[in-house]
Amino acid sequence: MSKKGYVFDLCLRLPLDRFELNLEYKGSARMLGVFGVSGSGKTTLLECIAGLRKEGRGHLFFSGEVWMKSEERLFLSADKRRIGYVPQDHWLFPHRDVRGNLEIGKQRALDNGIDFEATFQRAVEVLELETLLDRGVDRLSGGERQRVALGRALCSGPQLLLLDEPLASLDGALRRRVLRFLIKVRDTFDLPMVVVSHNPMELQALCSEVLVLEEGRVLEQGIPEEVFRRKRIFDTAKDQGFENVFTGVLTEVDERTVTLEIERGDQAIRLRVPKVEGVVGDSVIASLASDDILIAIGKPEGLSARNCIPAQIEEIEETESRQFAIASIGSSIPSFVVELTQDAIEELSLKPGIDVYLVFKTSSVRV
Amino acid sequence: MPTIYETIFATLLWAAMTCLVVAVPGIALAYVLARRSFWGKGVLSTITTLPLVLPPTAVGYLLLRLFAIDGLLGERVLGFDLDVLLTWKAVVIACSVMSFPLFVRTARVAFEEVNPRLEDMGRSLGFGDWRAFTSITLPLASRGLIAAALLAFTRALGEFGATVIIAGNIPSQTQTLASALFSAQQSGNESVANRLLLVALLVGFVTVYVTERLTRKSRKAQGGSR
Repeated sequence: MSKKGYVFDLCLRLPLDRFELNLEYKGSARMLGVFGVSGSGKTTLLECIAGLRKEGRGHLFFSGEVWMKSEERLFLSADKRRIGYVPQDHWLFPHRDVRGNLEIGKQRALDNGIDFEATFQRAVEVLELETLLDRGVDRLSGGERQRVALGRALCSGPQLLLLDEPLASLDGALRRRVLRFLIKVRDTFDLPMVVVSHNPMELQALCSEVLVLEEGRVLEQGIPEEVFRRKRIFDTAKDQGFENVFTGVLTEVDERTVTLEIERGDQAIRLRVPKVEGVVGDSVIASLASDDILIAIGKPEGLSARNCIPAQIEEIEETESRQFAIASIGSSIPSFVVELTQDAIEELSLKPGIDVYLVFKTSSVRV
Repeated sequence: MPTIYETIFATLLWAAMTCLVVAVPGIALAYVLARRSFWGKGVLSTITTLPLVLPPTAVGYLLLRLFAIDGLLGERVLGFDLDVLLTWKAVVIACSVMSFPLFVRTARVAFEEVNPRLEDMGRSLGFGDWRAFTSITLPLASRGLIAAALLAFTRALGEFGATVIIAGNIPSQTQTLASALFSAQQSGNESVANRLLLVALLVGFVTVYVTERLTRKSRKAQGGSR
C-alpha cells in the first residue's frame, strides 16, 4: 500500500452525555495524533473509527473505502475495516497465552495476502516479545501487556493502527521505554496510525499532525510542534505543564558524561543529558519541562547546571494563570517554551527579539 | 423387577440425555438474554424461569395436556402419534423442561461475566459475530457452561413430580432413582430405599461440589483479565 493512499475523510456527529462529538477532519497524515484532556471525546472518536460504535452520524472514508455514510445507511462493521485497535486497557484474551494472543488475527492476515510468519517474527523482534511468548497474560506487567496488545494488532495485518492512550497506564521510566517501542513500530511498519493521548510529549514524539479536541470539537489542528506552542493549548494542557520535545544524536557516551547533539542548521547544539542505554550515533528523543528551564540575560558563570544555550525570545505568551516565553535556538529546531513568572518577565525586561541564555541541569533532560 | 443398578444406570443415562437436549437452546437463549436488549425480554426471561417456581406436578400436568391425544402435540393435531406418554422419552422431556431454567440462569451469568469488550477486540481483529462467539465468548464462559450442564444433570437426577405424571413409574421402563426411592419407601422396602438414598447423596454431593469449584475458578479467571 502506498503512503499517498492514507487519506482520511471524517465528518462525525454523536451526542454524548455532556456534549456532542462534532468534528470534521480531512487529511493524509500517516501519524495522526488526537490530543485532549480526559472526557474530551478522544476514545469515542477512536471507537467510531474502529467501527465499535454505530450510533454516530456523518461519514467516514479511509483510503477510498466507505466505512460509514449515515445518509445512505452505510456502515462497515468493525471486522471488515482491517484495523488494529489497541485500547487503553489492552483487553488481552485471558484464555490464551501471549503467543495465542498474537496469533488470534492470523486468519485475517492470511486472507489479506499478508505473510503472517514474517509479520509475526518482525513484531516479536521489534517489541522484544520472544521471552514472553509462552507466558499467560495474567503474568505480564503493564508495559508487557501494552507490547503484547500492540503485537496482537500488528500481527493481524491491519491497514490502520488505532492506539488509545498507549502510555497512560505506565509510570515514568516505563513510559519512555514503551514510547521507544512505539517509535520503532512507527519506523518499521509502513502503517498509518491514529494515536489518542492527553500527553503532548507523546504526540510530539510520535505524530506528524495533531488534532486538539475540546468537548467533542476540534480546537486546533496542525503539526505538533506548532500546535502545542499555541496559546490556547497551554491552558488545555496546563495540568501537566509543557514539555519541550526534541530529537538529537548521541555524540559522546561514557561513564561520566553523555552528550546529545541537536542539529541547528550551521552549527550543532550539544547538551549534557543523563545516562542512557545507547551508543554514539543513536538517535534519541529527549524532553525538557518548561518549568525546568531558567532564563539569563547574560552568559552566567559559576553555575552547576551543565547546559547553557544561547537563544532569542520570539514571543511572550500569557494565559489566565501563567506566563511563557517562547525562545528560538535555531531555525531548524522547534522553539523552546519556558515557563516564567510575571515578576521575572518584568525584572529582566523580556520581550521579543532580545538574546538570552537558556540554563538547565543535566538531570532535567529526560531521554 | 430391575436391579437397583439398572435403575441407577437408566437414570444417569436420561440425565445425560437431558443435558444434551437443553444445551443448544439453553446456550442460545442464555446468550441472547445476557447480551441483547429487545422488547419482551423480561417476559421471556420470566417464562423461562417458571418451571423453577411452579409445582413440578403442575408442569407435569401441563406437559400431559400438551402431549394428550387432543393436545397441541397430540395425535389429532399432528396427524400421527409421537408416542411420548409413559415412555422413556417422557422422562427426558420432563427432566429437560424442569432443568432448562437452571441451565439458562447459570449460563446467562457465565456469559454476563465475559466482558463484551473482549468480543469487540475480536471484531477489531476481523472476527464476525459467530467467530467472536466461538473463539472468545464460548471458551471464556466454558467453566460456567459446564457448571450449568452439571446443575441440569443434577436436577434431572432428582426430577420426580413432572416425570411421574407424564412418564409414570414403570419398573424397567420409566422408573428413575427418585421414583424408585418413592416406591421402595411406600412399600416399606427399607434396604433398597437406603441404598438409593446413598447413591442420590453421593451423586448430588459430587456434582454440586464440582459446580461450585468451576464457578469460583471461572470468576477468578475473569477477574484476572480486568
